[in-house]
Amino acid sequence: MTDALSINGLVKFYGDKRAVDGVSFSAPQGQITGVLGPNGAGKSTTIRTVVGILTPDQGQVELFGAPISRENLRRIGYLPEERGVYRSMTPRAFITYLARLKGMKASEARARADVLLKAQGLSAYAHKRIKTLSKGMAQKVQLAAAIAHQPDLVVLDEPFSGLDPVNQRGVESLVRDLAASGRTVLFSTHVMEHAERLCDRIVLIANGRKAFEGTVSEALAVVPRTATIETEGAFDLAAALASHGFRTEADGEAHGHRKWRVALDDANASRRLLAACAAVNAPLALYEPARATLHDAFVRIVGDGVIGDME
Amino acid sequence: MREIYLIARREYLAYVAAWGFWLSLLTAPLLLALFAVGPMLAGQAEPTRALAVIAADPKDAEAIAASFAARSTEIMPRYVVVPAPAATPQEIAPWLTGQKTVAVEGEGRPLFAALFVKRTGETVSVDYWSTNLTDRSAADRAVRAVSERMRADALSARGLDAAETARIEALAPKLEQYDPRGAPGAAVTDRDRAPFVVGMILSFVLWSAVMGVANMLLTGVIEEKSNKILDSLLTSASPLQILIGKLLGVAAVSFTLFGVWGVLGGGALGAASHAGVAGDLAQAALNPALIGAFVVFFLGGYLIYGALFLALGSLCDTLQESQSLLGPVFLVLTLPILFLIPAFQNPQAPLVVGASWFPFFTPFVMMMRAPAGLSPVEFFGPVLLLVATVALVLVGAARVFHAGVVNQASAASLRRRLFARKA
Repeated sequence: MTDALSINGLVKFYGDKRAVDGVSFSAPQGQITGVLGPNGAGKSTTIRTVVGILTPDQGQVELFGAPISRENLRRIGYLPEERGVYRSMTPRAFITYLARLKGMKASEARARADVLLKAQGLSAYAHKRIKTLSKGMAQKVQLAAAIAHQPDLVVLDEPFSGLDPVNQRGVESLVRDLAASGRTVLFSTHVMEHAERLCDRIVLIANGRKAFEGTVSEALAVVPRTATIETEGAFDLAAALASHGFRTEADGEAHGHRKWRVALDDANASRRLLAACAAVNAPLALYEPARATLHDAFVRIVGDGVIGDME
Repeated sequence: MREIYLIARREYLAYVAAWGFWLSLLTAPLLLALFAVGPMLAGQAEPTRALAVIAADPKDAEAIAASFAARSTEIMPRYVVVPAPAATPQEIAPWLTGQKTVAVEGEGRPLFAALFVKRTGETVSVDYWSTNLTDRSAADRAVRAVSERMRADALSARGLDAAETARIEALAPKLEQYDPRGAPGAAVTDRDRAPFVVGMILSFVLWSAVMGVANMLLTGVIEEKSNKILDSLLTSASPLQILIGKLLGVAAVSFTLFGVWGVLGGGALGAASHAGVAGDLAQAALNPALIGAFVVFFLGGYLIYGALFLALGSLCDTLQESQSLLGPVFLVLTLPILFLIPAFQNPQAPLVVGASWFPFFTPFVMMMRAPAGLSPVEFFGPVLLLVATVALVLVGAARVFHAGVVNQASAASLRRRLFARKA
């Protein structure tokens, strides 16, 4: 199947600064792809190039297997990073306007606006000016406008920023629904949790370069897994587990107990470790297999200094 | 085309729905009406002013009283000469300061002024007493009345009849002006001059409209840039389409204003079309050729300056920031005003003709020259140059606009965009 989006060797300069430096990745159709990276990494520049606002200085961007054109840009829905609406327009008029600019007929666009506003719980505000709406509501209106023309590829630049947790969950749900309906979603974020929960694939960009591309599992696999154990008394867990093939390191004391960190080398290692602890009669006060996070993965990939403000 | 139409339509509806549009729509005719009838209303609102004349020679007092009586209904404010309540400046002071009043139109009012006319032989002096130090119209009229009497007395003393004197003073050659391009033997009238007056008025209206509308565009694009809505538009329309859509939308706003003002003004002029100068101006203003020229030159001037303002506005994030960039544009836009009077006095003056070929001045100067009966080359030459310049400015402005709205604008990127050739 053709990728909805394919970027190859993208380079973009701002003056003398190389904002994006040879980034290549693709977004397979029907999947959710997350572009992750700290602020200033080059995510928004990459995304603005994808949607045709910026022109690449080098490299190619293909949409649905063809170079960017007015025609295939119509198949994209885009939510910019910095939210912009016509505050004096009504939500219905705003959504209708952007949908018509993407080629929808007026009657279809109006009907679609009504459906989306109802889905977002904003029907009562359809004919009020956007400036009378709360910030969260205005963002919902903008998101609705981005998908009103039922695009095949939905590009969302930091869609969760500025939203409260309830609205963030609403956007997550919308992203899942879009993917479930066969659309491709590409979104950028610097919040790992969203990517971890939503993405089929992730792309990490740091300092304008791609640092990683793959599935979430593949990203997590780069982090060595460990378990944290606390034992009572003077029990030497490292010595006890050595014959069971576990690498165990003392990690100080906690809650009056000796604390240990044990490397888990494979998927069944946690179960085997617990069994080994039982076999050596280890006086366990705490057993906690640590679950790697994307944040851990990215620290591992690009280093602590680069990860910056990522959450 | 569809994108341009939708963007223009949104711009139009946004401006028309704003309070500012309705204020502009109503304010201009109201102000015009106020300027026309304001002074008369102000004069009528002021109560009749009371004057006292104390003259050594009663005939001087009669001449002054007759002068005010003859024009009491024409001139505002109105004056009435009342019997002097006292004979000296010291005695009359309480009436001038309002401590005492005289009866005027059934109510007591202070004296506005007192005139003391003194004669010593042939020497006459007028002392004008009033608490109003700025309005000397009553004094001037009294002096004119006394002067006429003095001249009449002097001529009479030399044996000349007063009526004969007046006839001699009125002697003057009769001036007739002719235009070799007009009908044989037909003298030039105010009706022939009216198109030039209308041309000058329309040229000024054109200039004010371009200035005002370009500012609307500037503030609009800075607002859109600061709230980032342009990023959404750029995925649906090219910078050139956005630029042209915005220009056409605001042009439609202007034509709506002109249309409403035209209907109101045309109605007012039509109602006055039988009345002298107003009738001449009405006939000249309602000339379809002049209206057509106005539309063409408005579009030309508006598109050039509007595109420049949009492009420069796209490089700025705030209005304050825009002021420094717009200085030179405002300077160029101000210069055509200097040609209004010279072009009115001589539409064929070399400087005026030269200015009409400079595309940034063409709309304003040609609007002035249009009624002068220009040859096809003189008219269509500058117009074609204007059209070509509009096209160039639009393309250049679209490039700057693109650079500006995607926040890439810098001196280097501007140069690249302005002089880049399409691959």
